[in-house]
Order: sequence, then structure tokens, then C-alpha cells
Amino acid sequence: MSSKINIYLVEYAINSLLRQKHKTFFITIILTILIFLLSSVFLITNSIKHELNATLKSLPEIIVQKSKAGRHYDIDIDMADNLLNITGVKSAIPRVWGYYYFYNSKTNFSIVGIDEYEEQYKDTLEKIATTLDFSKDSMLIGKGVNRIMSKNYYKEYFNFIKPDGSIKKMEISGVFSADTELESNDMIVMSINNAREIFDMPSAHATDIVVKIPNVDEIATIAQKIKQQYPDTKVITKDDLKISYQNIFNYKSGLFLALFIISLFTFFIIIYDKLSGLSSEEKREVGVLKAIGWRVEDVLKAKFYEGFIVSFFAYLLGLLLSFAFVYIFQAPLLKNIFIGYSELKPSFELPFVFDIQTLALIFFLSVPIYIAATIIPSWRSATLEADEVIR
Amino acid sequence: MIELKNITKKYEINKNNTITALKNINIKIGEGELVIIKGSSGSGKSTLLSLIAALSKPTSGEVIVDSKRISKLPDNFASDFRQNNIGFIFQKYNLINSLSVRDNIILPLIPMNLNIDVLNTKLQNVIKMFHIEHKENVLVKNLSGGEQQRVAIARANINSPKIILADEPTANLDEKLSLAFIEILKELKFQGKTIIIATHDPLFFNFNIVDKEIKIYQGSIS
Repeated sequence: MSSKINIYLVEYAINSLLRQKHKTFFITIILTILIFLLSSVFLITNSIKHELNATLKSLPEIIVQKSKAGRHYDIDIDMADNLLNITGVKSAIPRVWGYYYFYNSKTNFSIVGIDEYEEQYKDTLEKIATTLDFSKDSMLIGKGVNRIMSKNYYKEYFNFIKPDGSIKKMEISGVFSADTELESNDMIVMSINNAREIFDMPSAHATDIVVKIPNVDEIATIAQKIKQQYPDTKVITKDDLKISYQNIFNYKSGLFLALFIISLFTFFIIIYDKLSGLSSEEKREVGVLKAIGWRVEDVLKAKFYEGFIVSFFAYLLGLLLSFAFVYIFQAPLLKNIFIGYSELKPSFELPFVFDIQTLALIFFLSVPIYIAATIIPSWRSATLEADEVIR
Repeated sequence: MIELKNITKKYEINKNNTITALKNINIKIGEGELVIIKGSSGSGKSTLLSLIAALSKPTSGEVIVDSKRISKLPDNFASDFRQNNIGFIFQKYNLINSLSVRDNIILPLIPMNLNIDVLNTKLQNVIKMFHIEHKENVLVKNLSGGEQQRVAIARANINSPKIILADEPTANLDEKLSLAFIEILKELKFQGKTIIIATHDPLFFNFNIVDKEIKIYQGSIS
């Protein structure tokens, strides 16, 4: 087989595709849609995985919550000092945070209160703390919150309705972006005192306490100690959080998988149709080519070019459309299916993740399979006696 | 030059049923000869041409062309043999209707990946020889029967084969076009090509340029 590309064979393959333009157009469209669906699923998965990994990395080692009758209550901040006495605990930081339901957009915002002079429980907040003006009633908001507030004409300030029905006016002093959209998108950061005021939480209480432990091997033991010393608490370790995050993700990826299977199924129906044989006209053409001196490999090369032109074009087009769909249009419909809480939280933006392995996987799931499906029936006809095929 | 030795060809219809298309055929055809193979429909004429063109293999016996046992050739070598030695004019022409005259004629040259100038020279030679230069870019399906036959002849001759095989070449032509085809045969014979025509058209019988007539009846030479 000559390594030089036979341009006449390529021309013949293009002519052959144009001769069956309706069939070619139909197959290209179907392939493009399948590749588009497949790539969109992979791109969204990649983006969410990226977000989840970053979120999991920033999770605290242990969170201690006060629990009674299976319900979560505010915790005494004095308990943080007691937790510090446990060997292996580096710091115990009370957190004041909670959800604020914004009725106009039927969305929950996460309000996080921070103390100017205390250690923050995660790095992202350390950075934000340096830009927040603690002397005023001001707040920094995530991108998603900003989008919703702007839409509702709150561009410079926002009025929070406190539990007693009075208004707390907070100035919007800036929009921040953290390492991940997932954790920061719905977040509002303000001084701990303002957060207490909005939630009507006494100064001796906190939402929960974050416990930092440098040695990961000690997490389980320390969690057990806390639970023994404070039976009225719920102790959540990083691993527990990871599992719950991953469970949510796995559940979502199950739906992804369903779509993936449907795509594959349809794809294989087309392949099955292709494998089930050539039309009598196509068979005759293969026979004629053999009769006038074409080798089996010449016929297969022409069919390879046909398959490659259609599938590679569909691959590029499908990929391009999926990139636009996922990263420019933010995967409408599909994203909502897989980010379940988007009804309650501001929708976050899927971050652009370029993963060459994913592109290669989509390529190998589509182009070679289609080419094989094009070549195999022709190979069957081309290896028969030419006389038999023509007759 | 062409020798068929004890050729038998059987077609298997199913496990218990075979048809014997040719029985113990022995023929010798010299270089440059024009041979007519006569016989009624189903007598085995087309099968004989297929065996000479290495389009199928005999059940037993040997086909020898220029001292080569072409009946034993593996598939790819049989293709090469056809490409370099055989020009086949099929009964129904076997053109690709949705391709142009040009694209049909150059089909045998495509695997050779020739320089475009060489390819064009060969193309121009045959389309002039068979008077179809004005139809070069016309789709074959838009041609008349006679024109389609000339395209088929041009395709069979594009690679200057030594042997021309024609299967019932005038079956779909009226008398005028059949006579025009005979003129083309004269030209090809004049060029020194070996021509074998399978036909039952009386126009060819006792034709002065015919060197040999072979009559086949129910798969045997009679």
C-alpha cells in the first residue's frame, strides 16, 4: 500500500458522497448530533468534576454542629475553646453562616459572616477578608448573586428582611471570584456582626465550628473524641462530606450515563444498518471497480476516505457546537438536569476545562467506529469474486 | 497467447444443487486475433469471458495468458492482471450512471495515481478515438445507448490493454449503432489488440475481420 495519498481516490470518495447527497447529509447530521450530545455530556462532566475537586480540596477536616432530635441548632462559641484542648486540634473556628431566601427570584443565597481579626476557616475567605470594609454595612457578593441582584435592580445595595420583619440595608462593595464557582457563586460575605443581625443570632452563638487538624490520620480519632465528649453534637468529617458530595455527583452522572447510553444506542443502530450490507447498486459498483482492475485495498481506501470525511467533519462540527453550547450558552436544559440544586441556588458558570484526553475519547468513540462501519460491508463485497458481485 | 485447458466451471446454487456452466473447454487464441464466441443465452459465453478476465476462477482446468496461469492468481494479482492487460466491455456497460463521462473513463487509472498530465493525455486519446470529446462532462445517465457504449469502450481502452473482451456488445444497440461498433472493432484490431466477443448477433458472423468463431452449446464447444 503506497503511503502517498492518492488524490484521485479522495476525489472519487468525495464524488461518491456527493452522488448520495441526501444519505450523506442525513448521516452527517445524525452523527453530528450524537457527537454533540456525547461531547456536551463529557464537557459538562469535566467542568463539574473540576469544580467538585476544587471544592473538596477546600473542605474543613471536621465540622461540629449542635444537634437535637435530628435537627441542627446554633452552637455555643465557648465550645471552640474546649475543642482546642483536644490533642491534635490546631484550631477551632466558630462560623456564622446560613441561607437567605430571596423571594423575588425564588433563590437561596449563602451568607457567610467573617471576623476581621480572626483566622478564617478557608483560604478563599482570607483573601476576601482583606478587601471587605468592616467599618461599614457592606458586603462582597459572588458572581451568581450579583447577576440575580442586578436583574432585580439591586446594583449598589440590597435590603435584607430580618426575622423580625425590619430591613437591613447592605451596600454591595464588590464582586469576588473564588477558586471555584460552585462554592462562591451563591455566596455573600459580610462582617460576622452583620450576619448575626440578619439571622438574628446572639453573639454567644455560631452556626457551627470548623476544626482544623494538620494530621489527616488523626481526623477519625478526634471526631470520635468530640462525639464522646459532646453527645449533643453532630460531627461531620471531611470524608463524610466527600461521600455526600460524590453521592450527589454520582447520582447526576447516572443521568449523564443514561444520555450517553441513548446516544451510543442510536449510534450503533446506524452502525448496524451500515454493517447489514450495501445496497445492490453499491455492491455492483464495488464489483465494477474490481472488474476494471481495482484491488480490494483500493476499494477499501476509497471507502475509508468516505467514512473519514463524513465522521471527521461531524466530529469537528459536533465538538465545536458542544463547546459553544456548554461554555458560551452554559448548556441550557442539560446543565439544569445535572446541577439539581440550581432551582434554589443561583446557577453557576461552567468553567472552561480543556482536556485533550476527553477530545481523544470522543474521537475514538465516533470516527474509527464509523469508518469501520463503512469499510466492513465494502470489504465483504470486495473480497467476493467480481463476476459474482456484478451478476 | 490465451489458452484455456480443460476448463470446467460449476456454480453452486445451494448445498445439493450445482449448475455446470462450462464443461471441459479447450481453446487457444493467438495474439492480435479477433475471436467470436457464439451461442445462445445461457450457453456459457459470459462465463468464459469472466474466466479469461480473471473475474472468476474455474472449478477445474487452467487459464493461461502470456504463459501466466491467471486462474491461480490471488485476488490482488488478478486485479493487477486486469488493470494491465484486460479491457472489458460489459453487456450492460456497467457504467456508474451518476458520474460524468470523464470520471467513468478514468476509473481504471485511479488506483495508479498517475501524474495529472499523463492521465489527461490518456483521457484525451480515448475520448477522441471514440468521438465523445463533446460529452466529456456530461453525466452518463444523460447519454444515449450508443454513447454509453462508446464510454464503456473508451474506459476499456484507457490503459491500452492488449486484450479486449466484449460481452454481447450489440445487444442493446440498433443496427446502425451495431455497425458503428464493428467499425470501432476494426480500428482496435488494426491496433493489434486481441479481441474476444461473446455474442449471438448474426451481424458478427462471417465478418471478414473475424479470425476464429467458437460455438458453445450448453457449456461445451460444439
